[in-house]
Amino acid sequence: MHIPDGFIPLWQCLIYWIIAIIFLIMAFRWGRKNLNEKNIPLMAVLAAGIFAIMTINIPIPFGSSGHMVGAAMVAIIFMSPWAAVMIIALVLIVEGLVFGDGGITTMGANLINMGVCGGFVGYYTWKAIYKPYKGSDGVVAGSGILSKWWSIGVASWLAIFLSAILAALELGWAGTFPLGLGLLFMGGYHAMIGIFEAIITVIVISSLEKIRPDLLSWNKLKRAEADNPNSDNPEVPSK
Amino acid sequence: MNRKNRNLLIGGVIVALILGVLSPFIASTNPDGLESSAEHLNPNAMQNPGYWHAPFENYKIPFLGNSPLAGIVALVIGILLALGLAYILTEILKRRGNTEN
Repeated sequence: MHIPDGFIPLWQCLIYWIIAIIFLIMAFRWGRKNLNEKNIPLMAVLAAGIFAIMTINIPIPFGSSGHMVGAAMVAIIFMSPWAAVMIIALVLIVEGLVFGDGGITTMGANLINMGVCGGFVGYYTWKAIYKPYKGSDGVVAGSGILSKWWSIGVASWLAIFLSAILAALELGWAGTFPLGLGLLFMGGYHAMIGIFEAIITVIVISSLEKIRPDLLSWNKLKRAEADNPNSDNPEVPSK
Repeated sequence: MNRKNRNLLIGGVIVALILGVLSPFIASTNPDGLESSAEHLNPNAMQNPGYWHAPFENYKIPFLGNSPLAGIVALVIGILLALGLAYILTEILKRRGNTEN
């Protein structure tokens, strides 16, 4: 989904860069408040792992292929889309500058699509359909319409799908793709790629839950008031 | 850094390196979703305007030719770069946060 140089006119690239930088500054603010000895190694490992897995394209029907992005995964692990913006930005910088994967002029657009859209859609979709809360017994559960793992799968699929739709809109505005067909092709291919994203995201987060549950931010949720499972505003400690 | 976090770091890097070593052998060479869309909708867009020449274009070390080693070495460098940059950036942000508090 990395848009290369030349796909978007420079003046539009500038707009995306400005928006991306604003989100990046917000992500750094989140980092200053929330990063600590415990989650820094996890952030570093996730950046390395996401870089590695982004290079593994898996074949999908109609002669195409796709790779995982991981923004929803990071956002759900940290219960913050800003963590995803930060990690995906770092990975995109390495990919673009060192390996020529994704353009330099289009890096802002790529960060908006994969980091911002992926992270925000992934996290808030998961939160909306799972509604995590911590009961008075200290156990984290969800009061939403889907179970924990299904909600993570759906959220990460939607993150990829809507990131691709956003990219198609940008490329439609740029005049590179006709809007209707661009949405159809980008949406179609990435609807398939999203299944891979969903499976890997569930595997990684469920593995973390088994090995290091203390690293998952939902396990740090404050207990819901009066153990109200319908509370849709679980508080996350700032540190 | 305590033992648990050191183990996480070491374990995570090993998994990433295994993925990196396997990638040149298992990754599909089919065009990705965006490239496939461009092939159908606007093949001319695929011409690189040459704004930037990345040192390890296409995840390969140029002087190692087309061997799988060229890809493996490039990916190991990328993994270590992503790891190092993330560690440095997050450590700086944490220290700045501590200073503000």
